[in-house]
Amino acid sequence: MTRPNIQIDDEVREMTEEEYEALLATGWTLEGTDETPTAD
Amino acid sequence: MATKTFVASEVLTASDTNTYLANSGLVYVKSQTVGSAVSTVAVSNAFNATFDNYLITYTSGTQTVDTNIKMQLGSATTNYYGVMIYSSFLGGSINNASQNNAAQWDFAGGGNSSLSTIHCEVLAPFLSIPTHLSSFIRYSTVYGRNVGYQGDSTSFTAFTVFPSAGTLTGGTITVYGYRKG
Repeated sequence: MTRPNIQIDDEVREMTEEEYEALLATGWTLEGTDETPTAD
Repeated sequence: MATKTFVASEVLTASDTNTYLANSGLVYVKSQTVGSAVSTVAVSNAFNATFDNYLITYTSGTQTVDTNIKMQLGSATTNYYGVMIYSSFLGGSINNASQNNAAQWDFAGGGNSSLSTIHCEVLAPFLSIPTHLSSFIRYSTVYGRNVGYQGDSTSFTAFTVFPSAGTLTGGTITVYGYRKG
């Protein structure tokens, strides 16, 4: 599977596996779900 | 002298130009054009000793998913706190979403396939004290205001923004510094 792109200043490149894992750890998904926040 | 009123036919000196124009209240630091279909945008050398407090804007870009945009400072991936107060333009109650020792600020901005925006003030990121965030949020039906706190006493020079899902395309991130005096 192709990993998403990361931009660091003017450089755009495909994420490394480590960068991709860090992004996934934030809850990121490609397609998304309902991100409307749930009230506390 | 913080301000000066010029009069007709007065000679505009280089010194005055530098003081009152180039060093105005809100000073441009840098801008970053966002590429195509990027999930993460890191902006380096955004914060420095010249300014304590900053305004960060992002306009004219789009997102593949209608969602919020998150932010991290430097390489810090813990110790983020925040409360976002929001409602829907469709009406209804006022709600809140909170963060307690999170890995990032969840609500730096937001948007959709039509337009993405970030408008946030970041207080003292370069100083070795905790950093505060004030931002407004618009995506989906969510319209809100967010207050954030990052508890590390770390001097940050960079920040990273990324949508909760999908990618960003286009637009410009611009960083301004608040003149100290």
